[in-house]
Amino acid sequence: MSKSQMPIPETLLMKESMLTKKKIPIAHKQTKRQQQYFFTTVGILFIVCLLQIDISFSQFQEGVARIPSVLSMMLQMSFTEFPGLASEMVVSLVTAFLSLVLSIVFAVVLAFLAARNTTPNRHIGMLLRFLFMIIRAIPATVWVLIAVASIGFGTMAGVLGLIFPTCSYLVKSFSAQIEEVGQETIEALQSVGATWWHIVFRGLIPTLLTSFLAITAFRFEMNVAESVILGMVGAGGIGLLIQGYISFYEFSSLSLGILMVFITMFLLEFMTTQIRRRMSN
Amino acid sequence: MSARNNASLKAAEMRRMKGTLSLLFFAILIGLSVWFVEMDIFELVQSIPLFFQFLFTDFFPPNITDLGTYLGPVVDTLIFAVVTTCLSSFLGIVIGFCMAHNTTPHSSVRLFLRGVIAFLRNIPFLVWASILVVIFGVGTMPGLFALVLFGTSFLSRVYAESIEELNKDGMEALDACGASYFQKIKHGIIPQFLPSFYSWTLFMFEINIRASAILGLVGAGGMGSILKQTMDLFQYGKTSTVIAIMVILILMVEYVTNRVRERLI
Repeated sequence: MSKSQMPIPETLLMKESMLTKKKIPIAHKQTKRQQQYFFTTVGILFIVCLLQIDISFSQFQEGVARIPSVLSMMLQMSFTEFPGLASEMVVSLVTAFLSLVLSIVFAVVLAFLAARNTTPNRHIGMLLRFLFMIIRAIPATVWVLIAVASIGFGTMAGVLGLIFPTCSYLVKSFSAQIEEVGQETIEALQSVGATWWHIVFRGLIPTLLTSFLAITAFRFEMNVAESVILGMVGAGGIGLLIQGYISFYEFSSLSLGILMVFITMFLLEFMTTQIRRRMSN
Repeated sequence: MSARNNASLKAAEMRRMKGTLSLLFFAILIGLSVWFVEMDIFELVQSIPLFFQFLFTDFFPPNITDLGTYLGPVVDTLIFAVVTTCLSSFLGIVIGFCMAHNTTPHSSVRLFLRGVIAFLRNIPFLVWASILVVIFGVGTMPGLFALVLFGTSFLSRVYAESIEELNKDGMEALDACGASYFQKIKHGIIPQFLPSFYSWTLFMFEINIRASAILGLVGAGGMGSILKQTMDLFQYGKTSTVIAIMVILILMVEYVTNRVRERLI
């Protein structure tokens, strides 16, 4: 006979029911209030905004009805366009790589001028940080559009357009690293009378090299994604072909292009994760 | 003593050689890539002043005659970002909980979702947007769906990663008390997970503002469509106004999300 089948005295039963009713709040009161505040605000905002968007249900229905035919066309993958796609994929990779290399050259110099603790002049540092904040706020695609408008279609416009967002991203991350890690090194070197050049080239660059490389590897991944997009606005690379397939309804080649982009991006992600893991060890 | 010195010298030499070799490798890589795209470095350097000349003569001064008509797309962009962020964070939470290895209902569900999400995430969202334009036609709908697709794939990945990084002690204690699956999630996971949830969701909102600004380039509504229109008509003065509005909007949103983040965490 198990314990649960034993008759329970009435007094105990009473107590148990009382226990289950009484709840002891253990959550931090202020945090809880903040959470409620946040979620209510977001909920109200969401509903208000949802009512503002006009989505026609018929358009949705038509679109959903079109999905199976588009999918079946995409599943009949054709490999006839493979050589062209492969060479354009390499063009995309090269665009990303070259713009990254050029940006590193600018960014390393500018990061030391912009970081709060290594800038030779406080006003120059502030001006540079403000300038790069604005450059970073403009999306990369818009930069490339401007480059295409100024020097014409082609790979060069892609490289030139990508330099600006890449450079501003690198300057921001590099100078954040310098500000975070550099203070002790700078003080130690200053106390033995090192000049600015000594501090930068003997003190900071050797210590920060690995973290700079990790940032660069991460940015390369982002740059490849950008350069795939860039083709769609007219700056060479695989995006140009993909945009062409989409506008001429060549879904069998389109799916091959998408698959190639996926494989490339997947391998890149894998590689950069490996690099970062190795660097952190 | 001398042996150890020798060893450390050798190690230093090895490191130096490694450095030289990787530099050489990079130089070859740069050479090959320049050769592959048949690009002239000098031409590129020459085109930089050309680019700035273009930027300063054609884009300035900004033409602000149509300032009132830009208000609608700006509000549209904000509305877009709010709706897509909410939808994708809701979907992202559901998928994220199924994807993290400590909360997944079954390991096969986890593997399947990982594959799907990796596929969705690694295709740039402008490609998704233009495919959806083909399916749904020009308008706000393809842009909305593209952003939700992209946002869900991004958020479910980062949510799953932050759930996996949580402290396991609380979960173990709840297990020992005999808590059910949902009780464990409510009391063991969510309180710990909320800070990273806020921070990633606010980050997603920033990304969505930027993304909806360029979605218009493929015909999916928002600020990008005026940008493309003015550029196609060579009205660069108006383009610079649109870009300036975009910059102000993005910086303001960044400021607001930073304030909210500071308050909540």
